[in-house]
Amino acid sequence: MLTFIIRRILWGILAMAIVIAITFLLFYLLPSANPAVLRGGRNASPATIAYISAELGLDKPIYTQFWDYVKNIVLHFDLGYSYYSSASVTGLIADRLPATISLAGGAIVVTLLAGIPVGIVSAIKRRTFFDRAAMGTALVFVSAPIYWLGLIALYLFAADIGRFRVFDGSGSYVALSTDPGRWFGSLILPWIVLAATLAAVYARVLRGSLIDVMGEDYIRTARAKGLRERRVIMRHGVRSAITPIVTLIGLDVGSLLGGAVLTESVFDIPGIGRLNYDAIAHSDFPIVQGTVLLAALFIIAANIVVDIAYAYLDPRVRPS
Amino acid sequence: MSHLINTRVFAAVGLAAAAATLAACGSSSNSSSNTNTVKQLPLKPGESPSQQQMYNGKKGGTLQVYNQEDFEHLDPGAAYFSVDYEAMYATQRPLYAYMPNNDTLAAPDLATAQPTISDGGKTVTVHIKPNVMFGPPVNRAVTSADVAYAIERGANPNIGNAYFGPYFGAIVGAEDAKGKVIANGGPIAGITTPNPTTIVFKLSSPTASLLVGALSLPLSAPVPASFAKPMDAKKPTTYGSKYVVATGPYMFKANPKTGEFLNVGYFPGKSSVLVRNPNWNAKTDPRPAYLDQININVGGDQTVIGRQVLTGTNTMENDTPANTIVKLAYQKYPSQIVFTPGAGDHYMAVDNKHGPFKNVNVRRAVWAAIDRTAVVRVLGGTLVAAPMTHFIYPGVAGYDQSGGASGPQVPWNVNPAGNLAVAMKYMKAAGYPTGKYTGSATIQYVGENAPTATARDEIGVQALTALGFKVHATYVDQATMYSKYCGVPAQNIDACPNVGWIRDFADPQTVLYVPFWGPGIVPTNNSDWGQVDDPKINAAMDKAALVVGDAARAQAWANIDRMLVDQAVAIPEDFDFQPNIVGSGVRGISDIWDIGTWDYSFSSLK
Repeated sequence: MLTFIIRRILWGILAMAIVIAITFLLFYLLPSANPAVLRGGRNASPATIAYISAELGLDKPIYTQFWDYVKNIVLHFDLGYSYYSSASVTGLIADRLPATISLAGGAIVVTLLAGIPVGIVSAIKRRTFFDRAAMGTALVFVSAPIYWLGLIALYLFAADIGRFRVFDGSGSYVALSTDPGRWFGSLILPWIVLAATLAAVYARVLRGSLIDVMGEDYIRTARAKGLRERRVIMRHGVRSAITPIVTLIGLDVGSLLGGAVLTESVFDIPGIGRLNYDAIAHSDFPIVQGTVLLAALFIIAANIVVDIAYAYLDPRVRPS
Repeated sequence: MSHLINTRVFAAVGLAAAAATLAACGSSSNSSSNTNTVKQLPLKPGESPSQQQMYNGKKGGTLQVYNQEDFEHLDPGAAYFSVDYEAMYATQRPLYAYMPNNDTLAAPDLATAQPTISDGGKTVTVHIKPNVMFGPPVNRAVTSADVAYAIERGANPNIGNAYFGPYFGAIVGAEDAKGKVIANGGPIAGITTPNPTTIVFKLSSPTASLLVGALSLPLSAPVPASFAKPMDAKKPTTYGSKYVVATGPYMFKANPKTGEFLNVGYFPGKSSVLVRNPNWNAKTDPRPAYLDQININVGGDQTVIGRQVLTGTNTMENDTPANTIVKLAYQKYPSQIVFTPGAGDHYMAVDNKHGPFKNVNVRRAVWAAIDRTAVVRVLGGTLVAAPMTHFIYPGVAGYDQSGGASGPQVPWNVNPAGNLAVAMKYMKAAGYPTGKYTGSATIQYVGENAPTATARDEIGVQALTALGFKVHATYVDQATMYSKYCGVPAQNIDACPNVGWIRDFADPQTVLYVPFWGPGIVPTNNSDWGQVDDPKINAAMDKAALVVGDAARAQAWANIDRMLVDQAVAIPEDFDFQPNIVGSGVRGISDIWDIGTWDYSFSSLK
């Protein structure tokens, strides 16, 4: 098992290196703004632009810039500085990460609390009114763009602009350490919106998977042994059927921690996603690079955890 | 020579979706007709801020501002962006500042009176008020040496000021004979302070009028050398990003002992808090500063922000509202929106030096062909834009002298909706007998990829196509458009639509000089996008730059505007009006001298 984990981690490091190289290369290949001009402003003289280019190291050959960048990441965990504000990217990410973790963590909890029970009940009571209603609703949520869903939720339920002023609205986020009550209140609507799409997918996947599993021979055997139906479903059915959900959770947790760009933008949550969005809008490459690396790191880490969890849940994939 | 305005002022003032509705609100503009003028939609009382009542507001209260854009620089030596200016003129006191409803003459702010110009326009003397105090942690009276240091540090590369050379370069010792800035942040020989309340500027050329105008920019706001100098030695300075000292009625909430405001009163990308400056003396300042506190929230969806503001009470948006919000406000909350003329202009820069547009008659043909009324419709209708007819835009001195709304009555300009017959006449004059382009060149056309911008840029493509040009259009983000293509002459871009240059102060030189003065063409970050380099125009500009007196300068630059129209150096698109919204409980006062943004020092709660 240890060898398996080490191998997965090494593959993860290789994947990170590839992500770094690709992101860096894309910045040079795609048409994007000259960072020195951006920082210098519209009236900056060529001398000023040259000065800023030298300050940012942009006058060096691309391979030197890449080597400096990698060296700083590996040796100092230094992701560089924003072209605009000169703020440390590492500092900015550290500042924004708690909001993103709050959003992602809560959304995953709501997703699991909603998606798994609905998926199970729909599978067990398939073709009933509940099943049709639940799967129909899930289809709507899967189809709805999350940005639109967020706006609709705000127009319906936000305390400031909603028809039914129930939940805190856009821009109400406060840090957990500042006020736990307001933190919780400000995230209810974003959690629900973000979870709506995810839970819908989970419910549909789990339903399909559980229906298949419940037709397996070993389920019939378990029933024949006289086990209670609840135990048959939960212990034998759901445990096998849930492996696709574990895969999905791994991917979703990783990508959500990398920044739920649209949700953070709609609800004005100052997280990694919004940081990335603003950086893209301003061609602020060090921040874009930093947030992309963070997202990649989370996705790779989450996948390693998923692989290990797989091995625990399903003995067939356990390494010998 | 223009501070950056909110990028969305140009990008999102309106959208096609809103156009029809806004037009339906009463506009009589008719796109399909070839009328000579476009009838302007009359604004209802209160919609235009030029007659706004600036005083007698209620004192106290907290204003909640929702902005999508964050500040870029909070150092008065570096601020050059409309959103920065909102905070800059509330927290700092430059020598001169415009009152909200005056876009022609800056009033004394830190100064006691208008400057004295002597020595044939080569010496400017300013006296400052003796009892203006720095806020915490400096807590002492401002002296003329603080103003001198503030301006001198503008030449310090660690500050990153963008306009020191063009406006302050004429000060003796600031530039060498070739016009290269040689000052580096240390003392400049031409700036002297004979006593603590007097500052004298000696100029190497008689350009006092331009310098006086520039003394209304944030660079002239005093900076305490004892406090800022150690920070200014760093690359980049931390003055303005971590520490800053106020002189205005408000200050960023900060640690009173250190002056550190980062993560105290300013959270980058998130929020800011402006509080009263305890050392501000109302008797020295014409600004009433009614509000106790201003909370600025940054980010969020524009349509949500707009609704938060319109349905809120003590709320305000101080960047450009979304087009759907402009429509909503106009229809349902008419008392909560104003439209400010004078928010700039936009035109299509065309390469005057190479390719088909080198021929003046081809340029006139494109000018005659383009449908400027269609541009206005794309932007959201006549509430937020008007067809551009020349280069000095409304609100800038010289606008009336250069033709006002209808502009010079030359054949290529008199049909805002475009006239293909006139256009073809000029194509024939350019040597194309059929009236259409028959050459082999493909027009390289680079525009911005924001939805509204792309929609308006298509109108330019239509005009070119109608004249027989093959067009290769590329759309990129705005920053890339300027810094990689349109601002780099070596890229050989034939046409860059939707570019513009707004004033820094009332002087028309600030609108025309940079984008059309040939000797200013540089290989990178070039702002003469069309490479306009006409010796006669250059000479006229050099001469007009030395003219002293507001009226004389307005006329001199209006004459240059006429030359620019005659040479059709660029293809006009629109004059911009800026919409601004507030909540029902706010009496917003709009800065018509800028782009119409709300003024925190004059606005109040009802």
